[in-house]
Amino acid sequence: MPDLLELARAAVEAAADGEAVEAYVEESTKTEVDAHKGEVEGLTFAESRGIGVRLIREGRLGYAYAADPSLDEVRRAVAQARENRAFATADEHNVLPEAARAESIGALFDPEQAALDTDRKVRLALELEARATTLDPRVRKAENVQYGDMVSSVAIASTTGVSAAYERTDVWCFVVALAEEGDETQTGFSFRVGRALAELDWEGVADEAVERGTRMLGAAKPTTMRVPVVLDPFAGSSFLGVLAGALSAEAVQKQRSLFAELVGERVGSELFTLVDDGRLLAGPAASPFDDEGVPTSRTELFTRGTLNGFLHDTYTAHRGDTVSTGNARRAGYRSVPGVGVSNFYVDAGDTSPEEILRRAEGGVLIQDVSGVHSGANPISGEFSVGATGLRIQGGALGEPVREMTIASTIPEMLKAVTAVGDDLRFFTAVGVPSILIGEMTVAGV
Amino acid sequence: MLERELVDEILRAARRRGGAFAELFVEERSSVTIRLDDGKIEELTTGLDRGAGVRVGRGTSFGYAFSNRLDREALLQAATAAAASLDGAPGEVADLRELEPPVVHVAALDAASVPAADKVAWLREVDDVARSFGPDVRQVVASYGDSLQRMLIATSDGRWVQEVRPRIRLVAQVVAARDGVIQTGFHGPAALSGAEYIDAHPPAATAELAARRAVTMLDSVPAPAGEMPVVLAPGMGGVLFHEAVGHPLEIDTIHKEASVYRGRVGETLASTLVNGVDDATIPNGWGSFSFDDEGAPAQRTVLFADGVLQGWLYDRLRADEDGVPSTGNGRRQSYAHQPIPRMTNTYILNGTSRAEDLIAGTERGVYVTALAGGQTNPATGDFVFGCSEAHLIERGEVTTPVRGANLIGRAIEVMSAVDGVADDFDTWEGVCGKDGQSVPVGSGSPTLRISRITVGGTGA
Repeated sequence: MPDLLELARAAVEAAADGEAVEAYVEESTKTEVDAHKGEVEGLTFAESRGIGVRLIREGRLGYAYAADPSLDEVRRAVAQARENRAFATADEHNVLPEAARAESIGALFDPEQAALDTDRKVRLALELEARATTLDPRVRKAENVQYGDMVSSVAIASTTGVSAAYERTDVWCFVVALAEEGDETQTGFSFRVGRALAELDWEGVADEAVERGTRMLGAAKPTTMRVPVVLDPFAGSSFLGVLAGALSAEAVQKQRSLFAELVGERVGSELFTLVDDGRLLAGPAASPFDDEGVPTSRTELFTRGTLNGFLHDTYTAHRGDTVSTGNARRAGYRSVPGVGVSNFYVDAGDTSPEEILRRAEGGVLIQDVSGVHSGANPISGEFSVGATGLRIQGGALGEPVREMTIASTIPEMLKAVTAVGDDLRFFTAVGVPSILIGEMTVAGV
Repeated sequence: MLERELVDEILRAARRRGGAFAELFVEERSSVTIRLDDGKIEELTTGLDRGAGVRVGRGTSFGYAFSNRLDREALLQAATAAAASLDGAPGEVADLRELEPPVVHVAALDAASVPAADKVAWLREVDDVARSFGPDVRQVVASYGDSLQRMLIATSDGRWVQEVRPRIRLVAQVVAARDGVIQTGFHGPAALSGAEYIDAHPPAATAELAARRAVTMLDSVPAPAGEMPVVLAPGMGGVLFHEAVGHPLEIDTIHKEASVYRGRVGETLASTLVNGVDDATIPNGWGSFSFDDEGAPAQRTVLFADGVLQGWLYDRLRADEDGVPSTGNGRRQSYAHQPIPRMTNTYILNGTSRAEDLIAGTERGVYVTALAGGQTNPATGDFVFGCSEAHLIERGEVTTPVRGANLIGRAIEVMSAVDGVADDFDTWEGVCGKDGQSVPVGSGSPTLRISRITVGGTGA
């Protein structure tokens, strides 16, 4: 079987005069073990390989993909992309990046993890479920418990000289615990990712899911109040998705970003610094180059509340007369690259979570928000979302509250940040510490 | 797609270490997507996917292995991997017999035979019509997609099923702006159909609806907050029913004791006006098929009859465990996913009220014409829905548009508070995500009135 770069180069070699051709090839092997009631509920092995071909000529772009292609099928995909190109509108900004050397960022591939045997994975999933369902008498079962891992590699080659490949290992586990008391049920979720099982705090996942479920038992709907609000990292990460969309240069250029006219302005509190850093090895989304072969970089989007700029891929950089920040992302070989985040995180502050609770006396800690994707408008920045959490009394977490709504706008919320925790934590690509919002309306009864 | 002899060999390999059954799912999918953004045809993408998954079941647990190689060696390797967690004696493989489909969804005009230039022209039409709707329209994104999924399912109990599923969708998203206020409108009709669907759902109509939604919302005021009556426009009650009621009726949530409906079949858990079904046999429905992704025939399953809960939505594994037939709700996104219990087309059926009367009988409330999607917790029944287009109802009339409205409630309470069901049924097509798998689903309902629900808004 041809290796990935060989497949990518076969596509590049099929380019005709005047054509820019890029091939993105990926391959992965994934294992997932789901545990339920002390048994393996599901054991899934997956193998996948595919190629996506971008072909540009005179500013017109065509795309075609194929699963597990032979060399002949790679050439057919190029021909198909050539046909598709004819229907596209010419756009001078459709260009491929020039070759650039991507410095190594360290080990993304753990050979021991890649060689881990299935029995060990099965045992881990069972141990994870056992721990989650025996820690607290009120948690006897879990809705979902999963251990998963993936070994994958990516290769990119182009007529502009890109020729690069890397491989990586990823491992994750999550628990959705069910806490019960009387006829009430609450769910508690936790999740962690890493590069190898050896470094994954899986016990912490079980403990945290149980804690987050049980502490919500007895939750009632509060009366409407205007109080300090602490977003815990789980809740904060939901809002980061909205920010990610609005900080893409693609959204800005298409007039779909609330930040479009605000570069250089103080938008948020001076405690708020937001970074995208594809080279941060500690972040789960680290990679030496992005999905069109451009070396990744560190971009400070907000520095102490001031908006510096946006995330770019090669297209938006060309159109905006700037350079790519190495933020081209794809959903897989089936899709053309677009602007996306790498390790996208709120820089940690120096306030401990305990101190944040002390400063939020009489307020609410939000542990989950729902409806951010539908309830937040990435263009206007307005949002109204459902929330659950706990009251803050005497510097500690008090009674649970549910069926609340919090409504504001993204800029107002960023301005109202009065403390940022030192507890930065990554959830896949996004990372966020505890954040204290000085005052917000929490609507209940 | 594969020779019977090879299929038989793969099933035997999968049964080598026992288990309750083995299943092979093979698919080939060709697809076209075209996207217009900012007045430009950004890309036209064509793709060819293929692959196979082998599943071996044992009670409610399973082994699953898939590959996108379809050669004998790769398929036998997948069969061995799927059986890896078993340690029993080899099981039988019955003679494979082809099943007749209970319903055939006719596709009159193969979308693959329509020239790409015609499809591009549909998107241009969306762009033109939306932009000419009014000066406030600033941006239009239009996308078109069709796909043809050919599949083969064979099982060790002798099932041999072949199906070809053509799907088609045209989506318009419109951004309107005025005086610093920005609003978006969306419409995306879709079907299990050939290209004749576009004749019945012309691009111009789709564009106009999306544009009208965006422009209307420019005049919106912040939504009120508090408990009040809400009237849901045709189709929207179905979206709410899908999320808040349908998901907790999927048998996996019941078995995991994570559903508010568990153990409650036969109880009145909705207003007696509510009759709800899940129906994969709707001709050309977006969520329809002839067989589900485990080879079970498509069927219509009654979920609520006059407010009384009738039963669950079953896939094969859990149906076997409960000793009942599958309801044909085992679905998967592709060969790369194991089947799980999913809805198909989930409808609240027509009642006898008239929509005008439901609105006229509402002193003060909210009329919701488009929901933006929502989230639901099946264990507690709690849900939140964003409203992308809504209006106030004042003294029995639909008045000012409102923005930022959320509907917040719990499934049983809200469905019990339905006090009016009209006779103007319509559908809404969506893509439902669960356990990392996306499948096309239809929702539908007539106009519904909920006597009391919490509206989370920012206004007074």
